[in-house]
Amino acid sequence: MRLPRFEYLEPDDLTQALDMLASHKEDVKIIAGGTDLLVRMKNQLLTPAFVMSMKQLSGLSYIKNHDDTLTIGAKTTLADIVDSDDIQEGYTALAQAAERVGAETIQHHRGTISGNILQDTRCIHYNQSRFHRSGRQPCHKDGGKICYARDEGDRCYSTYQGDMAPALIALEAKVVLSKKDGKRTINLSDLFTSDGFHPFSIEPDELLTEIILPKQKNNSKSAYQRLSYRSAIDYPITSAGVMINSKAEKIKKARIVVGSMSRAPLFMVKASETLAEKSLTDIDAFKEAAGIAMDNAGTFAVHNAGSTLEYRCDMTFVMVLKALEQAAGIEK
Amino acid sequence: MEKITITLNVNNESHEVLVAPNDTLLEVLRDQLDFTGSKESCGEGVCGSCTVHMDGKPVRACLTLALEAENIEIKTVEGLANGDELSPLQQSFIDHGAVQCGFCTPGMLMSADALLNNNRQPDEATVRKAISGNICRCTGYAKIVHAVAHAHNPHQGCCDCNHKE
Repeated sequence: MRLPRFEYLEPDDLTQALDMLASHKEDVKIIAGGTDLLVRMKNQLLTPAFVMSMKQLSGLSYIKNHDDTLTIGAKTTLADIVDSDDIQEGYTALAQAAERVGAETIQHHRGTISGNILQDTRCIHYNQSRFHRSGRQPCHKDGGKICYARDEGDRCYSTYQGDMAPALIALEAKVVLSKKDGKRTINLSDLFTSDGFHPFSIEPDELLTEIILPKQKNNSKSAYQRLSYRSAIDYPITSAGVMINSKAEKIKKARIVVGSMSRAPLFMVKASETLAEKSLTDIDAFKEAAGIAMDNAGTFAVHNAGSTLEYRCDMTFVMVLKALEQAAGIEK
Repeated sequence: MEKITITLNVNNESHEVLVAPNDTLLEVLRDQLDFTGSKESCGEGVCGSCTVHMDGKPVRACLTLALEAENIEIKTVEGLANGDELSPLQQSFIDHGAVQCGFCTPGMLMSADALLNNNRQPDEATVRKAISGNICRCTGYAKIVHAVAHAHNPHQGCCDCNHKE
């Protein structure tokens, strides 16, 4: 498959990159690892006039440990995250998520953390070759007015299937979005719009430059679980990132995030709150929380990730429960 | 869209090539430099038959722009052998009968070579994980896994390792 034609931009530093984004805006797509962008371009889902390379921006590849935060540069590869002792120990869910993204030879050495966060939402009816799509009317995401995933769907219900974001949201990550005249720091959860057509609130002239992870007080453990058909190739059909903050064997704060069930990762407020003040070994409390997470996530999911909805909902329960057990240190 | 001249360092040799921005590394390697060992199969990063090394790390040549590969040491399957002498891994593939139709073999070799450079005595689970991004449609994974695991440490109980002499 040939790539469509485009103009290649290669900024030497961040300032130049932000200038280019400011002048080209919607016409430019950013390539970091390319493992997501180039597939979309080959399928002619995207035909940008300009592609801006992050190749020379080596200053954006770092993992730094500060007093009360850990910062990760946008261009840090998944392999660097898996290999980092700081992340393995303090932010286990993130290391587990990075390790489970596809296969080492596909994504880990080229794929970056920001590219993984900003991967577009997917749908089995949309992420197909141009030939496949040419046989029928275009769907909402393709510029048409039909949804093939949901009867009488009035908008796009494509699913966000990234692995890193659920883990990062469970860990209360923030992201830094830079543009020509300044930058803003927002919660990662606010980056998602829950709109399948425009999944991210990032502006066309903004560049995601840094991920900030807060250091948790008390005893904090996290875990990430995902389910996919073929782990090396397929995107997850459901996933769960959890963080449990405990003191003297009692849970002080829990965060449960379910991925691949909606247009954005879902932070399960009610399920998370039920765990407050519960014991770390209270398996019934974990089951109750996983049940609530399953019920709530099920209302968002549509049948567009290659498995039946019932199965994905049932397995959401299993993924959340397994992640909670792992974070609490009581996995069998 | 103008073409750009870049220098690609493939298997320790420099090559000057004229590439378009939308040329992938795989297209340049195969069509311009005649390194036809790396294969294109799916073209979208799923099958692994185009795997090459960039700075010693296994990556997909079909999902890498040629322009992004400038000033990086690229190794293709042609660079594994030392002249006419096959590398232990290549010889092991032959000894174990790990090649059926052979289309996935270049990618398998490159993924396995990257593993063996870091870990000369991998166990079976490690090998399976390392080549999990490579698809073989002859379904011959068992032979391939044995070939990689036994490449540097022949196994007592393995008849393929011992049949040579």
